[in-house]
Amino acid sequence: MYRTINRLTFILMFISGFWTSLWNTEANEPAVHPGKEKTADIIPPINTRFAELPESESPDFQKHIIPLLGKLGCNGRACHGSFQGRGGFQLSLFGYDFHADHAAMLDDSTGRIDLQDPDESLVLAKPLDGDFHEGGKRFEKDSWQHHVLRTWIQQGASNDSKKPKQLEQLEVQPHEIEFTDSTREVNLRVIAHWEDGSVEDVTILCRFKSNDDSIATVTDNGIVNDGTAGDTHVVVSYDNAVIPIPIIKPFGSKQKFKSTTSNHPIDQLVDQKLRKLNIEASGTCSDAEFIRRVSLDISGVLPSPKAVEEFLSNSDPRKREQLIDKLLQSDGYAAWWATRFSDWTGNSDEQLNNVLPVRNVATKMWFEWLRVRLENNVPYDKIVGGIVNAQSRNTDESYLEYCKEMTESCKPGQASRFAEREGMPLYWARRNFQTPEDRAIGFSYTFLGVRIECAQCHKHPFDRWSKDDFEQFSKLFTPIRVNQNLVAQDAKKERDTLLAAITGDEKLRGADLRRALYTAAKNGETIPFGELLVNVRQISDKQKSAIELAKKQGRKAYTPALPSGKILGQNSNISLDHDPRNELMEWLRDPSNPYFAKAIVNRVWSNYFGIGLVDPTDDMNLANPPSNGPLMDYLAAEFIKNQFDLKWLHRKITTSNTYQRSVEPNETNRLDQKNFARHVPRRLPAEVIYDAVMLATGSDAKASLMREEVSEMAIADGKPKRRNQQDFALEVFGQSIRESNCDCDRSDSPSLLQSVYLRNDSEMHQRIMDSSGWVTQACKEIGIDGPLQMSDAQYQTAFNRANAIRKQVVNQMLRFQGASDQQQLKMRKTITSELSRASIKVESLGFQMPPINRLLAGRQKWEILEPLPSKTANQEDLKNLVEQAYLRTLSRYPDTDEVEISVDYIEQSETPADGVASLLWALVNTKEFIITH
Amino acid sequence: MQFNRTCDGANRRDMLKIGSLGFAGLTLSNYLAMAGNGQLTKGRADRAIFIELPGGPSHLDTFDLKPNAPSEVRGSFNPIKTNVPGIEISEHLPQLAKVADKFCILRGVSHTLAAHRLGQEYVNTGSKPIPALEYPSYGAVLAKERPSDAEIPSLVAVPKAAQGPGFLGIRYAALETNSTPAQGQPYSVRGISLPDQISVHEVTRRQSLLKKLDRRFAEVEKSDQLLEGLDQFGSQAYSMITSSRARQAFDISQEPESFSRQFGEEPFGQSCLLALRLVESGVRLVSVQLGGWDTHQDNFSRLKNNNLPKLDSGLSGLLNGLEQRGLLETTAVYVTGEFGRTPKINNRSAEGGRDHYPRCMFMLMAGGAVKGGQVIGESDEKAAGPRNEAITPDDVAASFYYNLGIDPTTEFNSMTGRPITLVRDGNIIKKLFS
Repeated sequence: MYRTINRLTFILMFISGFWTSLWNTEANEPAVHPGKEKTADIIPPINTRFAELPESESPDFQKHIIPLLGKLGCNGRACHGSFQGRGGFQLSLFGYDFHADHAAMLDDSTGRIDLQDPDESLVLAKPLDGDFHEGGKRFEKDSWQHHVLRTWIQQGASNDSKKPKQLEQLEVQPHEIEFTDSTREVNLRVIAHWEDGSVEDVTILCRFKSNDDSIATVTDNGIVNDGTAGDTHVVVSYDNAVIPIPIIKPFGSKQKFKSTTSNHPIDQLVDQKLRKLNIEASGTCSDAEFIRRVSLDISGVLPSPKAVEEFLSNSDPRKREQLIDKLLQSDGYAAWWATRFSDWTGNSDEQLNNVLPVRNVATKMWFEWLRVRLENNVPYDKIVGGIVNAQSRNTDESYLEYCKEMTESCKPGQASRFAEREGMPLYWARRNFQTPEDRAIGFSYTFLGVRIECAQCHKHPFDRWSKDDFEQFSKLFTPIRVNQNLVAQDAKKERDTLLAAITGDEKLRGADLRRALYTAAKNGETIPFGELLVNVRQISDKQKSAIELAKKQGRKAYTPALPSGKILGQNSNISLDHDPRNELMEWLRDPSNPYFAKAIVNRVWSNYFGIGLVDPTDDMNLANPPSNGPLMDYLAAEFIKNQFDLKWLHRKITTSNTYQRSVEPNETNRLDQKNFARHVPRRLPAEVIYDAVMLATGSDAKASLMREEVSEMAIADGKPKRRNQQDFALEVFGQSIRESNCDCDRSDSPSLLQSVYLRNDSEMHQRIMDSSGWVTQACKEIGIDGPLQMSDAQYQTAFNRANAIRKQVVNQMLRFQGASDQQQLKMRKTITSELSRASIKVESLGFQMPPINRLLAGRQKWEILEPLPSKTANQEDLKNLVEQAYLRTLSRYPDTDEVEISVDYIEQSETPADGVASLLWALVNTKEFIITH
Repeated sequence: MQFNRTCDGANRRDMLKIGSLGFAGLTLSNYLAMAGNGQLTKGRADRAIFIELPGGPSHLDTFDLKPNAPSEVRGSFNPIKTNVPGIEISEHLPQLAKVADKFCILRGVSHTLAAHRLGQEYVNTGSKPIPALEYPSYGAVLAKERPSDAEIPSLVAVPKAAQGPGFLGIRYAALETNSTPAQGQPYSVRGISLPDQISVHEVTRRQSLLKKLDRRFAEVEKSDQLLEGLDQFGSQAYSMITSSRARQAFDISQEPESFSRQFGEEPFGQSCLLALRLVESGVRLVSVQLGGWDTHQDNFSRLKNNNLPKLDSGLSGLLNGLEQRGLLETTAVYVTGEFGRTPKINNRSAEGGRDHYPRCMFMLMAGGAVKGGQVIGESDEKAAGPRNEAITPDDVAASFYYNLGIDPTTEFNSMTGRPITLVRDGNIIKKLFS
């Protein structure tokens, strides 16, 4: 999450006008047409025009004054842009509200503008005097800035237009910067094309911001200087336009690297960018690295030692593709990706509390609904359609049938019944998804990968969205209502009947009612469920009665206007006299939708590379363009062409060389993080680590049971979680809390607590020492004592029991030896078998018994009880054991050094079992274990 | 910023610009500038103990008694005098009555959230909960701003944290003990203490094995933040596990009986003792919970027989203990439930109960620059609301941070990069520090 913050915080800009052009053009065609200068005369920069006080020109409020105030920092959040203003003077945040800003400046009580005596205006006096102004000195006396502001005031401080003037195009020259040894500084020139045909050089009025200061810095005047090698964007903003300019600073002096020989489209598009940057890609990862990486990434499951060995010995040249196909068919794939989809759709137990009459089943249903669809590879748009257009009842289902089916689905282990239902209305029922505003934010987050919450209170600083866009979009969600007690008109009677059958005459409410329903469901009775309703009544009851009253009284009735809303970025109104969700869904799946396909492609990509093409993955905005635009465009377009086939997407990505690169860096790609020139290690997700620890430490039998039946695993949402009762380990490792409409609800950053957990948590020790653990199994296999040592009390008990047997035996021997030879002969057989039984018993208690014939012959008295000598393991066994330990944790064979270190360690340990336990402990604590490589 | 409402004297122009986070920024903050002007006593605590009373303790039966109210409000408890003339508290808090000079009672604290979770979130953060984002606990803020040494966790919750680190992220999460200590018994905590069967020697041996085997990325390590971070956390974890400092800090059995006795035998009192030991060894904030305050039924017998004796011995022991160790001056103490309880006694049980009531509640503050032995704020004649202007959880949070030398107007970035003011609407309660 640390990386999500820096870049965006202080960029103060927004956009709207030129968006329309972007919306309608092909994605990879530049939105603006740089370099194509219009023929009209370009008005020279304002700083030259106002270097001296000009005689005729009047500065324009929108074109000059507000941009100048923005440039001077006046309307920033920390200054007068704050919602409370500063020093009694408030400007609109990010300066978009010309009308309000003009009124604020001319408000007599603030003293900002003094038309009679311009020099007394605080708007001039304050920024000229550092002592007098909390914000410090902003410009010099008689500077061009001073001249502009003063002239404007002197000429009446007017704002000549009621509606904002339309900025048709903001042209930036050059439209891309590639630094070379000889070109290390570039001046940007920005030209505004206004609707009235005027064309002005506004460079000096623009705000410039580098997305990465280490690669390129930019001055207030638009001079870009190179830094360290890499690529980034400089973002230019003026009026309502935001233009990102790509910057490339190659690594080292240009040399020719081998271009990729792969004809895989991903490899070619990645290579194009790498060539510009003069970066050479790392080689291909080893087979051992590949099977571990791809298994964890596709299916979330650590490969079994057997699978690793088989893969390594397989000589089929197509074995990597075969493995990918196999993994995409595995149970782990559907489970793990249903978990990820649950993250993005906000499947949170906390938020689903009480949305169904039966508790703690909703999350499981949600998960299962997704899992089954992923298993069957239902196209992405169809899955989303089932959520967006969700109805509670299936087609042609009666309310009673619906309740019967839901009652069944709520029974333990029956979530798969819910998965067979057409829609997934739980998405709409969440507690944090009830107000239209929350829905607008959550919907954009989930399906568009866009954060529009800024626009709830002010113009979005990095994108086109205005407060009005937000409000119009929110309105679309107002008709959707979900509530446990809400059913369609035609079902009210049936609901009451069902309720009456359960509660009798009693009027139960709240917790009492819940309990009654719960018990009834448990007893096999059908209980009533609420339904998702679309409230499309044109006039509310209250308004209706008002109209009727008016009629009665002979007044003219007031007829309210029909409510309507707008899809984000669309101009046409959607009337809310019908369910607007179908239109919303059609807009999503339309190939021209600029976000829908990209959002999922980007999230899937991020799963495989640890960083999205757009990063953060849920923040697509104009100031945050993709690191590789053509690649993003290609993947999104092909994904749509392939009917939103998710497995196609996974296969396309994982079969590329780009995905299969080695972690070993070279001099040119060592520092690069975002161009996919090497495998960048990342910490495994919480659930994957959790399961990996269980698989690595559990016995073979236990681990294969887990792999066969993934539903109990953490990747399959098998560990129920509630806000205050989340599994400790999953919480520590950053499992998504699925609450705040942010992909950062899941954390993959390391922490001290994680290290403490893996090193020393009792759960870890327990797993390593467990009787169903691998250490116990391995010790048994090579015939040494397991790690479970007897406590003193246990030892004492065993000693007492063995000692009792010893005493019996000694007495028996006394009797035997006292008997006559003939008697002895008779007794011999019985006594021998008794003695051998005793011998087995004594040994099982951990003690030695002298050989039977020596006892019988009276050659040994057995006066002292001695423990069995501990066995030692042989070297060969230990080497095999070390190999197994490596395969089950790090999915590779150990090298000879590692074998030697490990065997030495085990041999020098107090007991061999201690040594084996320590080895397993060390392996799950290596960095290699909890990261991808 | 509603700053002007209580700090009218301060001229905006005289205030210094708020600086960046951390100590350097703090000294520039306008609040501390005011402190410099002698308007406020400067916050000087550098550690804190936050005592939470989940369930919502009845203010009328503890620190805000109304002996003259009608019987359906008054209840059966009588007020007793404290060691501060004029301040009276419940007769079932006799030990606390003897140390009333060490803490300050806030009365007529008021808010509007009557659900446990929402109320908790509010008093645990000082900002009214909003759906879009969760504010961080006080401890998480301290863990971020003033991290402890490697061997010692920055933030410990006994036994559980009611509030997480919110948007600051899991890395500032509390170390939860998951259990409470018992008097005189050795005590250890999840992950920090070695289990019986493993010795420090063994861990050291294991660590040396790990070091030898964990070299797969030796080449890449220097240029990779993740690998570097993992290494760093790994060695910190090792020092924490093997250092005697953390283990000893948790082991309350090392306290002489004469000292530990004053905290009482209850787990809560011993948790207070643990909190004292922890802040003494460098933990920044320890939160302690004492639950059972949700007295919808049998309000009086439950308070009298259970909750009040526990609170009385534990908290008085803590205040005395902190003073004896010379820690009261550097340790900010804050005691609160999520709301008060209804003035009118309900009929839910033979003796009646009280229900959720956020409109009027009490809080306690002590330590650091807090001037003890005073009551701030006042409730009306039935303790149904503040008599005059309400004190809000925001105000108390702002004051708590102030006491810790942290500017409550500090800005953090949320996970989505949104700038968030630490305490959105709080005003420092000047009287606390004067």
